[in-house]
Amino acid sequence: MKRQIPLLIVIILGFMFAVHTFVPHKASVDFYDWYQTWIKAISPFMVLLGIMSLFMVHSTKIKRKVPNWQYSLITLIALVGTGAVGFIWGTQQGTPFMWLFKNVQMPMGATMFSLLAFYIASAAYKAFRARSIEATVLLLAAMIVMLGQVPIGIKISKLIPEASQWILNVPNLAAKRGIALGVGLGMTATSLKILLGIERTYLGGGD
Amino acid sequence: MKLNYTRLGIFLILLVLSFLLLPQTSHAAIDKTEYIIENLQAHDIPNDDGSGLVISWKPLPKERRIIEYRIYRGITKDSLFYIGRIDVNVKTGVLADEMYFYDTDFNYFIDTSSRGKLRKEKGQGKDSPLYRGYPRDIKIVGPQLEHYDVLGVIPEKDFFYHSRKIEQIADEDTTVYAGLKLREFLQLPKKLIPDHEYYYTVIAVNESRRYFPHAEPVLGIPRENSPEKTREFYAVYVQDKNRLQFEWSLPTFTDDMFYHRVYMMKKKDLDKFDKYLEYLGEVEKNDLAMKNDSTLTALDRTVENPAELIYQRYSCYPYTPVKTLSINPVNGKIIGEKKYPNIFTGEEYEVNVDIDVDNINDYCFVFSLYDQATYETFSDVSSVEIINSSELPIIPPFKVIDRESDKGDYNTVMWGKPVVYLTNSSYLNEDKTRLQVNYECKTNKDYKVRNIFFTVFDEEGKEIDRINEFYQDNKIKVKLPIDSDKSQTLFFEMKFKCNKDVGDDYILTQTLAFDEKSKSLYPGNVFLGDEDLLENSYYIYKHNYYDEEWRISKKIVGTQREIFDNVRYLNSHFKIVKHFDADKKLFLFRPSFGVRHVEGKPDETIGSNLFPSEIEKTLKAYEDNIAELTVSKDTLNTQEEIDQVDEDIKGYREQIELMTTNPILKEADSFKNPKKRLKFLDKIRHFAKNTFEYKIVKTDGKGHFSESDIYVRTKMTSADKIDKYAAYFTGFGKDHFTPRSNWFKKKMLPALIASLLFGMLVFVMIGKAKKGHDLFVRPIAGIEEIDNAIGRATEMGKPILFVPGLSGITDVATLAGLAILGKVAKKAAEYDTKILVPCRDYLVLPIAQEIVKEAHYEAGRPDTFDKSSVFFITTTQFAFVAGVNGIMVREKTATNFYMGMFWAEALLMTETGSTTGAIQIAGTDAVTQIPFFITTCDYTLIGEELYAASAYLAREPLQLGTLKAVDYFKLLVLIFVISGTILSTTHLTFLINAFPEK
Repeated sequence: MKRQIPLLIVIILGFMFAVHTFVPHKASVDFYDWYQTWIKAISPFMVLLGIMSLFMVHSTKIKRKVPNWQYSLITLIALVGTGAVGFIWGTQQGTPFMWLFKNVQMPMGATMFSLLAFYIASAAYKAFRARSIEATVLLLAAMIVMLGQVPIGIKISKLIPEASQWILNVPNLAAKRGIALGVGLGMTATSLKILLGIERTYLGGGD
Repeated sequence: MKLNYTRLGIFLILLVLSFLLLPQTSHAAIDKTEYIIENLQAHDIPNDDGSGLVISWKPLPKERRIIEYRIYRGITKDSLFYIGRIDVNVKTGVLADEMYFYDTDFNYFIDTSSRGKLRKEKGQGKDSPLYRGYPRDIKIVGPQLEHYDVLGVIPEKDFFYHSRKIEQIADEDTTVYAGLKLREFLQLPKKLIPDHEYYYTVIAVNESRRYFPHAEPVLGIPRENSPEKTREFYAVYVQDKNRLQFEWSLPTFTDDMFYHRVYMMKKKDLDKFDKYLEYLGEVEKNDLAMKNDSTLTALDRTVENPAELIYQRYSCYPYTPVKTLSINPVNGKIIGEKKYPNIFTGEEYEVNVDIDVDNINDYCFVFSLYDQATYETFSDVSSVEIINSSELPIIPPFKVIDRESDKGDYNTVMWGKPVVYLTNSSYLNEDKTRLQVNYECKTNKDYKVRNIFFTVFDEEGKEIDRINEFYQDNKIKVKLPIDSDKSQTLFFEMKFKCNKDVGDDYILTQTLAFDEKSKSLYPGNVFLGDEDLLENSYYIYKHNYYDEEWRISKKIVGTQREIFDNVRYLNSHFKIVKHFDADKKLFLFRPSFGVRHVEGKPDETIGSNLFPSEIEKTLKAYEDNIAELTVSKDTLNTQEEIDQVDEDIKGYREQIELMTTNPILKEADSFKNPKKRLKFLDKIRHFAKNTFEYKIVKTDGKGHFSESDIYVRTKMTSADKIDKYAAYFTGFGKDHFTPRSNWFKKKMLPALIASLLFGMLVFVMIGKAKKGHDLFVRPIAGIEEIDNAIGRATEMGKPILFVPGLSGITDVATLAGLAILGKVAKKAAEYDTKILVPCRDYLVLPIAQEIVKEAHYEAGRPDTFDKSSVFFITTTQFAFVAGVNGIMVREKTATNFYMGMFWAEALLMTETGSTTGAIQIAGTDAVTQIPFFITTCDYTLIGEELYAASAYLAREPLQLGTLKAVDYFKLLVLIFVISGTILSTTHLTFLINAFPEK
């Protein structure tokens, strides 16, 4: 029963939503809207799950004094502290919560994001090393596309921006569409496997 | 650097200090009086419905670091409630000298999100009159109702089925109300009542969210004003048709508009009319002065309007009235179709005015807006323009159909043949021999455009190019001769080939003229014969079974060929809420409601009541009144009084007859179950409000318009014939139409066929696999290496990291990732290797935990399952990355799996994994992240391989069958793509057109 009831819910609702895609009738639209309100109702409980998990993982680490347990302590203090200031002083502009958001979370997030530029350079270096014919083609294509995006490209040759556009519009787009086609079918197949009960891993376990 | 107790302690102290002290430092040594706003005023808003006030004040300088101004209102100075705020950019401050807050129209009053209890505003003293807002407490809010016009927006189900009957006794009269709790209202907005006193104050809040003292409250009194002046009014006399035509513009403030009027006068009376206007201004000024000074008396309305009323109509609510009027004088007279009552003054106007059409130039006309306060504002006087009907636009035949594939909230109104017009042009080469011209094609369901033929001529009329646009992609490429003059005007001729014959003479023409300023070819107006299509517009008028007047649905340009008229589903009732029941916590409103207008009498409404007993009471009251009036006749002396009583008795009898014999009300009364009765009336009401008749008007906006007849359908549709409510509505299906809910989206037919075909393929291939057919599956390196990667982690004694993507459980990529997690976790459990699964989504977490737990059970190692190895980090994208990277660095994971949906964080994770020396296998369907995974990971599952992985690993017939079906379906898609390419290259577009664009 532990598996059968959730499976039954998934199969019935899955087929109903598949039907909704093809049926514009008001009954179908109302059913979908009704379902959306359920999502809103369930969401807060999902947050609880996440917070409980955080507490369990990090409190265990602190209790067992595992290596680097101090980081867990900081995590929990930050979690409780941020939550507390939000509850006490609210989350509007000018509150300590917003101060924390602007002066702690935003700069830290921006720092992580800015690292991406260096990582891209590192990844580009790896990718563009001309070790094989394919890598050489990749290097050339990348050079043309990059030059096509900057003013110096057109100074070198008027053909570069056109070639750059051609690479983006023809081989690149063809590959992207090929992948998108495969992804679309893969998604449909996975959805169908779930609807038919062939794929049940999400219920816990393989069978 | 190792974190020890001392370092941790210092870090925490710094953190706490910075967080507590920094925001507070700005509070030091503040003189509160400098933060009290100045020059606070409350003014009446002119030309509105008498419910608007504008609050103004001088903003504080930007050095004060103000982030918001909060506005409070009350009916006394002692208690003012928060009603709204204006946010300010703390860095720039407010550049203007004054700030304004408009308290007008229906706006927020109270709802379920309001506070439970009354609370004083922050940062104010104990004696402060400021409160944080109206609370939900009915004992506090209830008495406020009499000071505002509160509108209850009630969901239909609550109105009909949850309203409770409440009797209230006032002055020995018992009044029955319907009552609902606050949570049963969608909204309870309010607006101010004219001539009532309201007090306002404003406080400033700085960036530390410090609330400063309020300014001294100021008084504001909204006043009734005359309506705004209509800006445009045109009068036209169509000589050969003997028809007067009028067209006008619509006002901005519309809430209390009650009548539209058109007057006529002789030009010689213009001076008198000007004096009348002056007099009206004086009356309004005096009315206003009287409100401030009780010693003044009202001016006698002695000055008469020299203009004669020739037309009047209700404005209706919501305000969407028609903009045109035609009057046909008969035998030198303008005779009104009905008597025009003025419900405010009790007067009744019968239009019977002489007009000398032979000397029509002696007359002038004026348009007026008349509001509920009986103020009237006139437009500028318009002389009449005399034209012939040949100068009027020709209106094409039109029809109304139900829009396909919708939930039943649109009618389609369509007319005319297709139209194409040029929108833009640009040269494609430096020699300017290739010109790209963009175009728009407008058509309707009747005409499906197959080909558009463009012929291009130069200024000498020589043909330059001819283009057959068989696939309409909204752009054509015109080849120009090398030696042609680049600044010359190009002439385009455009013809159509459609599913129906449009006629050889149906030719549109347009120019591309050289524009000196932009140095480019700019499209001119598009012509159909001599008609400039952009000169005229179409007004779509509609009228239902509920309201008396026609309304304008849409105004659209002359190049359009169809519109989708939105017929909204009625989900709410609007009721004025003036009373309350504090004990039962109910807000009260009148239980009556309208159903439709009386058949043949659109100005009379059939109404009913939520409570049947009230209908009986009303009937009895009418009968009692008749009896009383009959008896009173004997005591009357004059014939006039007796006639009035007879009139009243007749009115009561008509009402009784309507209530007892009307088929709708009779049918409703036949239901014994009150809920069924209300359900029936609700359905009828829906039907009456959502069923429309249509007509269209083609106009140049200046009175030169043609009006169609009401559209009449010659053949009723089968859906109209069987509608059970049609019997109560004459003309339904013939000239009145309601949209239908459709059961299938026709555009989705190819998708449905493809889905069914794919489903069949899956079943066939599963069957084959079950029978033992050897289904070849292409080896995928990334999947084959999974075992080795897990083995490596086991050998190294290090954990495995599995990231199931960053999207939620509703993403199929996440489900595919979780399917792979099951296989990986089982293998890891068999090898007794620790697996770490950080999650970003709350809902993915418990599912991943269950999957890993089950995997351990299946591997026969439940003892090794550690629930905390599957854990939540955060929903914030880059914070999650920081968490995962930290795990990689600290735990030195030997193998990293990234399976699911990823965004910009992909590279950050995989580069870190790469530097820690882990073997990395990634799989995603995010096209933009695949290159990063390929570059930084050892193996990558590209797109569909992610979905194939679980089947590949499971090697079960059911899974393999599905995988094989995908391959065969891909083959089918490929065949269609190649066929479509070949066919469209040879101008055969049927295959492309068989598929919807999106």
